[in-house]
Formats: sequence, C-alpha cells, structure tokens
Amino acid sequence: MSETPRFNRVLIANRGEIALRIQRACRQLGLETVAVYSEADADSRHVHEADVALCIGPAAAARSYLDPDGLLLAARLTGAQAIHPGYGFLSENADFADAVEKAGLTFIGPTGASIRMMGDKITAKRAMREAGVPCVPGSDGPLPADMDAVRAIALEVGFPVIVKASGGGGGRGMRVVERVEDLAQAVTLTAKEAEQAFGNPTLYLERFMQKPRHIEIQVLCDTHGTALWLGARDCSLQRRHQKVLEEASAPGIAPETIAEIGARCAEACRRIGYRGAGTFEFLYEDGVFAFIEMNTRVQVEHPITEETTGIDIVAEQLRIAQGARLGMAQADIGLQGHAIECRLNAEDPFTFMPSPGTITRWDLPGGPGIRVDTHVVAGYTVQPYYDSLIGKIISYGATREQAIARMRVALAEMKVEGVSTNIALHQDLLADPAFARGGVDIHYLERWLAKRTAS
Amino acid sequence: MSNRSEQLVPHFDRLPEPEQIGQMATWLAQAGLESLELCNEAAGLKLRIRVGQAVPAAASSHAPPASQPEAGGGLVAVKTPYFGHLCLTHPQRDTAFAPVGAKVAQGDIVALLTLDSLQVPVLAPVAGTVAEVTGQPGALVGYGAAIMQIQPD
Repeated sequence: MSETPRFNRVLIANRGEIALRIQRACRQLGLETVAVYSEADADSRHVHEADVALCIGPAAAARSYLDPDGLLLAARLTGAQAIHPGYGFLSENADFADAVEKAGLTFIGPTGASIRMMGDKITAKRAMREAGVPCVPGSDGPLPADMDAVRAIALEVGFPVIVKASGGGGGRGMRVVERVEDLAQAVTLTAKEAEQAFGNPTLYLERFMQKPRHIEIQVLCDTHGTALWLGARDCSLQRRHQKVLEEASAPGIAPETIAEIGARCAEACRRIGYRGAGTFEFLYEDGVFAFIEMNTRVQVEHPITEETTGIDIVAEQLRIAQGARLGMAQADIGLQGHAIECRLNAEDPFTFMPSPGTITRWDLPGGPGIRVDTHVVAGYTVQPYYDSLIGKIISYGATREQAIARMRVALAEMKVEGVSTNIALHQDLLADPAFARGGVDIHYLERWLAKRTAS
Repeated sequence: MSNRSEQLVPHFDRLPEPEQIGQMATWLAQAGLESLELCNEAAGLKLRIRVGQAVPAAASSHAPPASQPEAGGGLVAVKTPYFGHLCLTHPQRDTAFAPVGAKVAQGDIVALLTLDSLQVPVLAPVAGTVAEVTGQPGALVGYGAAIMQIQPD
C-alpha cells in the first residue's frame, strides 16, 4: 500500500455473491465497507456485515444498482471514498467511471477511457491488432474487385472463410465458403445481395471458425507499468452466451501457447495504460486465437484463476486502486493444478426458467479443494428481479481428474430445497465423456441439451 | 392503435409550458426512460427532454413506496421516497413539520430528506393525525424507511 491510503471506506455498488466477495476482500485489507442495496435485498448477508448500510431505492435496478447519481449521492452521504462496481450493472459504464473520478472518488477499475475503448468493438479490435493481440485472420479491409486477388487473400486466411457485407449485421449479408472453387460465386452473390439490402456492395472476409472454444486470459495491471497475465480459462460450456461451467487451465492447449498469448495481452495492457483487473476473450480453433472482446471488470469466474495462481484478484484490484505496486513479477506467477467452477442458478433444470422463492434447505459441500462463493443462507429468498445466480462451487485439484472428482462429490453434497437449481445439469455434464476428454466447443452444450430434449 | 396514440401524444404546435415539461420529465424518470424527443418539422419545433439520471428530476419523481394500513391500530406508515438525512423541522422556521398530534392532509410535507444541497420532501400518504414519529432527526435514512405513523381520518 502507498503511505497514505487513497481510501479507507469502499462503497460496493452491487449485490449478491460478488458484493459479499468484495466485502471480504475489503475487510481483509482493513477497509470499511458501505453496502447500498435495493429494498428487495434488505436481508442480504453483505448488508448485515457492512459498516454502513443504506437502502437506495426499490427493487427495480434502474432506480437502485443502475442509478449512477443515486450511487454517487450515497457515497457522499456515507463518507465512502471509493466505489467498487463488481460485475454487471454499472461495472462497464465508462460515463459512470468518469463521474466517480470527477466527484473526487476512486473508481476501482480501469479509467473511463479504457472502458470506452473496449466497449466499442471496432476500436477495441484495432487497438488489439496494433498491440499484437491476434484477431480473426481476415482481409483486414474491403475485398478488391479482382477475383484472383480475392482468391489469394482467402487462401492466405485459410478455408473455411466467411464473406461478410461491410454494411451488414445481425446475421444478414454473410456467406460461409468451404472450398476455394466456390469462392467466386459466393463473392458475386453476396456483393449483389449487399448492394440490394444495404446499398453497399463492399465485402470483407474472415476465417470462419466452426467449432471454436472460448478461451480467456486474466490480466492484472498496476499504475506503475506492471501488467501480468494470470493464465487461461476455458469457458466453452455456454447456453445462450451464458457461461455455465468454467475451468482453468484450458485442457489440451500447451502452456507455451498460452504463455505467448498471455504475454501479448499484458503488452497490450501496457500500451493502452490499462489499470486493474481485466479479461481478454478469444475464440480458439485449430491453434488459432481470435480476439473477441475485453471485459474491463472482475468476472464471475475469477475464482478459478485465484485457485490456480494463489492470487486474490479482488484484493489486488483494491490495492491497485490505492496506488500500490503489484508485489510480484510475471516470473513469480506459477500456474498450479486445475480448478473448475459450477455456477449454481435458481432455475428449472429443463426449461431454464428462473425459479425464485425462499430457500428452505442449504447444505454446503466441503473438504479439501472445495470453495463456495455465495450470498445465500437458509431462509434466503431468491428475488425475481435480478439474475438467478445463487452461488458458485469451485473445486481445485492437483490434476483435472482430481478437480472433477472433488466437484462430483461437492455437487452430490450440495442440497438445496425451496427453489429448483441446475445442480443436476452440472452432474450430467461432469459425467459426459466429451467433457471428461476436455476441449469441447462453444456449441457443445446447446447440442447436448437439444439431444437431451429429443430423447 | 393510431387513434389511441393520437390521444396520448399531445398536439405539438407550440412548446409546452415548463410545468408540462416537468411532468413529462417525471413520467420519463418513472418509466426508467432517458430521453424523449418531440418534433414538428412544419412548425419548426423540436423538444428534447433528457432526464438521464438527473438527480433533482429523479429525486422529485421518486414515488414513495406503497404504504398499507398496518393490521391492528389501522396506522399508516409514512415512508421515505429517497434516502438522505432526515429533517423533521422546517429549515427556515423552528417548528416541526408534523409533530405527534398534528393534523395532516394527504400530500402535506411532513419531513425533508437532505442530500447536500438537495432537499426531497416526504409527503403524507393519507389525511389524518400524526400518531407517532419514529425517525430520528439528522439520521441517515434509506429509501422506504418508515419515519412516522398516521392515524387516518
């Protein structure tokens, strides 16, 4: 820590498990916490544990957790000098980050400028490409009129390619081309359609990733020029773009490959003056990494990285915001063992409809290598107003097999009554042979669910 | 539908009065909307109302949480429409807005919440007699806090 701390009271502008997680880190660092909450969350654990608790509005997030002016007023009234936004809500709102700093408070996260840059996909991609972070291989601009030149580009990019209209979007004006002999016709057709649909025949092309995995790199940067990468997470098991189960490290990808990509992410952070925690998300297929976006906040799945690195990411966020130097170098970061996170949702295991209600039984798993991050206690009422995440079980093992075995037992021990949960889904996934082999793609879970529904 | 929307959207051939604009801003804030734009090109008029999360507009629009008569005595709680420091006496005078025994009409100001320079009135949800004042003057109270009880007429 710097000699005079910039803040000693932190307002937690969030709810649920992440609010409690942030509160724990604050308390361990000797910082006071302010819990601001909606009427619906009055009985939350972090509200009871806070040094100061203030109800700032009704259940509707727009008038509580998403109300920037209310949060700033609450900070002023409660004497908080810093705001931790958690994830979701206002965590990636550049204007809020700016407003916090303008009010003379510390925003525990990157600058508004960084958030803004990463919020715009085109600027983000351009910045990443310039910094040497791999993006989807492609034409890097409009396709030339000469078909031989187009063919040369496509061959260099590698088939299959996807031909897209510059003016297109939302799945329209694009065509996947598997073979070079089909390219000319596809380009002519797509250009004609683009002209008709968007009034602009300009096309570009990219490598089409058919069965990519979702691989992400965690970074941590201080304000003194140190940027570290903390290994990779595989978050390919998703349903409707919502992650369900994540693991660290990414099975089957060589550590040297991750190290190279991690170093590039860290270098990109140094170039853009990034500060705090962040995540670079990639699609990965056949050895090719393609940058999708950067999340400029702490993520739900941060604990699996904490387990494999031994670094308390939320505490580091707080220390960085105090102006402290990261007390380690890249060489000090050892990636040990394997960690898995299962997100527990209060939802119907078949329809995935949220299942709000009062939890009447809440038996937690335990034992070596098991961590549970949750705000829930027996008697807690799952509100219908917010997301259905009720907790996260994290298992750690020396090997992936051990982490899976520990998670299996943990899921069997976890007993929840009063609301429906997706525990059974996690159990089925852990028993799935393809998952056991590791490295399934981002469409795997939805295909698997479709098969389950059919049978 | 078109008939209905004609009724809902006023004729926009001149700029509304400030009070009407204020009312529209309140409705926007209540609906959780950020901005509204009315345009009449023929008349060369354009009105843009942005509430964003502007505090005074948002604060004044914050409807108090519903107060229901409590079982038993039939008392109705006065709940705060926002958070802030509770002020039970009129800042310019030395008298309490609504001490125990005071008769209040629905909508009377019974207290103020102060947030720096901002003041948000706390209104009586029903007409009646103040039966009890539970809020502590100067205390930081949250949204929806019961600060007094009214015995309805």
